[in-house]
Amino acid sequence: MAEITGIYTASHTPVMLNFPDRIPADLRDEIFGAYRAMGDDFMRGKPDALIVLSNDHLHNFFLDNFPAFCFGCAESYESPIEHWLHAKRRTFAGDQAFGAYLLQSALEADFDPSFSMEMVLDHGSLTPLELAGVDPALPIVPVLFNCVQPPMPTMRRSHALGRFLGDALRAYDGVERVAVLATGGISHDIATPRMGMVNEEFDRTLLDLLEAGEPDAVLNHATDFVHTAGNGCEEIRMWMAAMGIAAGAPFKRTYYKAVNDWYTGIGIGRFEV
Amino acid sequence: MANWQESMPSTRAYIMNKVLYELHHKPDDLSAYQKDADAYLARFNMPQDLADCIKNNDVARMYLSGVNPYLLRAHCIGVRIPEDESLAALRSLLTHEEYNNG
Repeated sequence: MAEITGIYTASHTPVMLNFPDRIPADLRDEIFGAYRAMGDDFMRGKPDALIVLSNDHLHNFFLDNFPAFCFGCAESYESPIEHWLHAKRRTFAGDQAFGAYLLQSALEADFDPSFSMEMVLDHGSLTPLELAGVDPALPIVPVLFNCVQPPMPTMRRSHALGRFLGDALRAYDGVERVAVLATGGISHDIATPRMGMVNEEFDRTLLDLLEAGEPDAVLNHATDFVHTAGNGCEEIRMWMAAMGIAAGAPFKRTYYKAVNDWYTGIGIGRFEV
Repeated sequence: MANWQESMPSTRAYIMNKVLYELHHKPDDLSAYQKDADAYLARFNMPQDLADCIKNNDVARMYLSGVNPYLLRAHCIGVRIPEDESLAALRSLLTHEEYNNG
């Protein structure tokens, strides 16, 4: 039986690495500090493995075959896949047995994810891991959600997958401690006319509802208003899954700022398991 | 108000998506494109207006074609279209009748 040491939520954007100077240095330092604080908190739990809930931005998957959910089952994951991303190339260890266990358990629980034994992770996984200072030697299991090309799985289905994952993680006896990082969102637009026009009201309402511990209200807000908060906000499917894994544990935001010049509502938080 | 130009990609959008995807993922494609854009784009047997807006870095027209915005974003960075230039092109569409949030 594995103990979940922490469930973290954090935004990601390649702009942080490619165009860090588009915002004032003190604000950039404040944001990077918030990621490091998340990493420090993460490290205190001494996890044996990390489940990364993220999304592929049309690098590993294309429209010829695009999964709603994909579980990583590889021994290692190179990153980044983007030739244009300003990031040091690195290889993350993978927990293949853990990934295979989650895949088989998901199928038995009537979910139908695809799986991959060879993925090159993009900025969606790399950015928060790098900024948080997570050791690439810590074995990871990526779980990728389609948030980038309609039609996509619903917010409620993503939450349901999270509920399944929570049960499966706690039942796993291959590790003693496991942490979860759900990364994406909050409000942002990628390559649309609204790019750089963060919907702060959407974000603050989402965070308020998460802190109030009202899953149905969170899901309704996410479902009914995501279209006002940008195509990048579709990535809050991973936050819905994290809420499912948390199974009622209280949520606390640790950082939020609408950063229009990074095009993103930067949100970081954790479920206090 | 919507997050997407197309809720399911049209075939036109699919073709443009395919060009932008292959351009930045196949090993020699970007250099081939930069060497001779017309020859590269001819591989895809695509409508001329789509080929033209790729070749001319017409970010606004590419967006309106229904191309996936993530592929468009990666393309803008990958072929080094200046950040403020691509942003201005997109912003110019805020009141455009073909933009479904306008």
